[in-house]
Amino acid sequence: MKFATFALRNLRRNRRRSAISLGIIAAGTVGLLLTVGFIRFSFDGLREAMIHGGLGHLEIASAAAVESRGEAALDRSVQQGIENWESVRAKVESLPQVVAVEANLQVMGMAQKPGGDSVSFVGVGVEPERERRMGFETRLRDGKGLADGAPPEGEDEAVLALGLAATLGVKPGDTITLLSASPDGMLNALDVRVAGLVTTGVQELDSRYLKLHLASAQRLLATDRISNLLVGLESTAATAAARERTVAALAGRTPALAVTSWEKRAAFYGQVRNLYLGIFWFLGAIVFVLVVLATSNTLIMTVMERVREIGTLRAIGTAPGQVAAMVLWEAFWLGVLGAIAGDVLGGLAIAGINALHLRMPPPPGAVDPIDLQLAFVPEAFLAIVAVMAVVLLVAAVAPVVRATRISVVEALRHV
Amino acid sequence: MQEALLEARAVRRRYSLGETEVVALAGVDIAIAAGERVAIAGPSGSGKSTLLHLLGALDRPDEGSVTIEGRDLAKLSENELTLLRRRRLGFVFQSFHLVPVLTALENVEYPLWIDDVPAAERHERARAMLEAVGLAHRVDHLPDKLSGGERQRVAIARALVHRPAAVIADEPTGNLDSANGNAIFDLLLAMRRDLGTAIVFATHDPALMARAARRVELRDGRIVADTARSGVAN
Repeated sequence: MKFATFALRNLRRNRRRSAISLGIIAAGTVGLLLTVGFIRFSFDGLREAMIHGGLGHLEIASAAAVESRGEAALDRSVQQGIENWESVRAKVESLPQVVAVEANLQVMGMAQKPGGDSVSFVGVGVEPERERRMGFETRLRDGKGLADGAPPEGEDEAVLALGLAATLGVKPGDTITLLSASPDGMLNALDVRVAGLVTTGVQELDSRYLKLHLASAQRLLATDRISNLLVGLESTAATAAARERTVAALAGRTPALAVTSWEKRAAFYGQVRNLYLGIFWFLGAIVFVLVVLATSNTLIMTVMERVREIGTLRAIGTAPGQVAAMVLWEAFWLGVLGAIAGDVLGGLAIAGINALHLRMPPPPGAVDPIDLQLAFVPEAFLAIVAVMAVVLLVAAVAPVVRATRISVVEALRHV
Repeated sequence: MQEALLEARAVRRRYSLGETEVVALAGVDIAIAAGERVAIAGPSGSGKSTLLHLLGALDRPDEGSVTIEGRDLAKLSENELTLLRRRRLGFVFQSFHLVPVLTALENVEYPLWIDDVPAAERHERARAMLEAVGLAHRVDHLPDKLSGGERQRVAIARALVHRPAAVIADEPTGNLDSANGNAIFDLLLAMRRDLGTAIVFATHDPALMARAARRVELRDGRIVADTARSGVAN
C-alpha cells in the first residue's frame, strides 16, 4: 500500500465531504473551461474575420512602402506601389499552401452623386474572383457584388458600404462620380454604377468604404501599379511557414519587396486578445482563490475530525512528514479527480451550449450578431487538471501545518 | 543488577487546565527491566496515563529524566523519538485506535510499512501475527466489521509485529467485557512471553492487577507502593 492509496480510501470514507469538495473543484473547472472556450472562440472568430475581411494571411508590398508607413499600416501609397506585379504573383501562387494571391490598389478621394454633396471615401480595387477563392467575405446587403471580369471602359462598377451609400443618398443602379489624385498628381474622375451595398462589419469603416474592380481603380488612378498583393493560405496555422517560403521566393528582387504576416497588421486583434487574456487571468485568479478557501476549510475539517487517529498514527511511529504526505495526497487526489470530473462536465456544457446556437451581440467593432460556438481547447482540459492539483496542494498548506503540529498526548485524549 | 529498559527519575509533569495548573506527576522514580510485567494502578487522575505517556516516549517531562534503553528522551529530536516509538515500543489503547480505512492485515502491517520493511516480509509477519491472535480468517476485514475483542486482538498484533522491547498498554481491556478482557490479557501475556517483551499496563481491574508480577500504585502523582509479587510467574 502507498500513501496515495491510503489517501484515496480516506476520501472514500468521507464520501459526502469529499463529494462537496469535488463539486467545488469541478464547478471551478467548468467555469474556467467555459471561459477559455469563449475566449478562444472570440480570438478565432476575430482573427478569421480580420484575415478574410481584407487582410489576407500575408501581404506583399514594396519594402520602401513598408519602411515609410510601418508593417501595421493598412494603406500603402500607390507612389510606392509594385510594378510588374504579375510575375511576383505567379511565383507566389506556385508555392505550397497558397490558395491565391490577389492584387489590391488602394484609392482615396471624393465621391459625389450628380447634384449632391461630395463625401470622402477610402476604397480598394480588388479582383473578385481571387477574393472569393481566398475566402474573403463580401457581406452584401442589397444589389449584387462586383463582376469577376474586368469591366470595359465606361462600364465601371462599385459596391458601397451602407454608411457611405446613406450619406451619398444612393442605391444600387445609381451612378456616382469618384475623384482621386493619380500618382503623378493629376486629378482624375471616374463614373461608376453602384452595383450593390455591403457592410465591412466595422461601423466606422462603413461610413467611408467602397470597393471596385482592380481595373476600375487603375483607371481612376491612371496607373498599372498596385498597392500590394494579399496572399490567401489554406489555413491560418500555415502563416509562418508560408511567409518564410514567400520571403525566400522573392529574395533578390529589385526593388525589394516586404512580406508581412496578418498578425503584424492586425493591431486591433492584439489589443482585443490582450484585453480578453487580462479578463481571463482575473477570473481565473478569483476561481482559484475561491477553490483554495473552500477546499482548505474542508481539508482542515478532515484533519480536525481525525485528530485522535492522527495521534495514534504518530504514537505508533508515523513521522510528521508522513502525516503531511497523507494530507497532501488527499488534496492532490481531490484536485485531480475534481478537475477530471469538471473536464467531463465542462465538455458536456460546451457541447450543450453550442447545440443551442445562442446569438451573441456583435463583438467590439463589429455590426453583426454572432452565433456562440465555444471552442474545445484540449490543452486547457489537460492543463486545468495540473493547475487544480497545484491549487489543492496550496489549499493543503494550512491543514498540513495543523496535522503535523498535533500533540500526540492531546490527540490521544481527544474525544 | 539488570540495566533498566525504561526508567523515570524524579519526573514531574504539569498540565494547564484553563487557568488551573494540574500536577499530574509530582516526582516519580521507576525503573522497568526488559521482559518485566508491570501493572500501574491507581484511581482516575492519579497520573497513570501520564506516566505511560512518558515511558512510551509520547511526552517529555517538565523536570527529571526519562530514559529508554539508556537514551535520555530530553536529548532526542522529534524524529528520533518517532523512530524510537516505531522500532522499540508497541502501544495498546483502551479504544483500540485502529485505522478505520485499513483492513486487519494492513493495520498490523502498518508499523512495518512506515519503516519501509519490504512488502513480502511485512505481509508474512503480519499474517503470522494475526494467526497468533486467532484472526487468520479476518485478515481482510475492516475494523468496523470486527467485534470489540477482535479489534483489540488486531491492536495487540499491531503492537507486537515489529518485536518491540516494550508494550505500553493503557487500560487494554477497559472497553471489553470480563470474559473478552481476560482472554485478551491472556493473549497479551502469552505473546509477551514468546517475544520476551516487557509490558507496562495501566488498569483499574483488580483481576488484571493480580496477574502482574509487579504492581506500582500511584496516588496524586506519586508512587505510593511498588510491589513485586511472589508466586506470580513473570
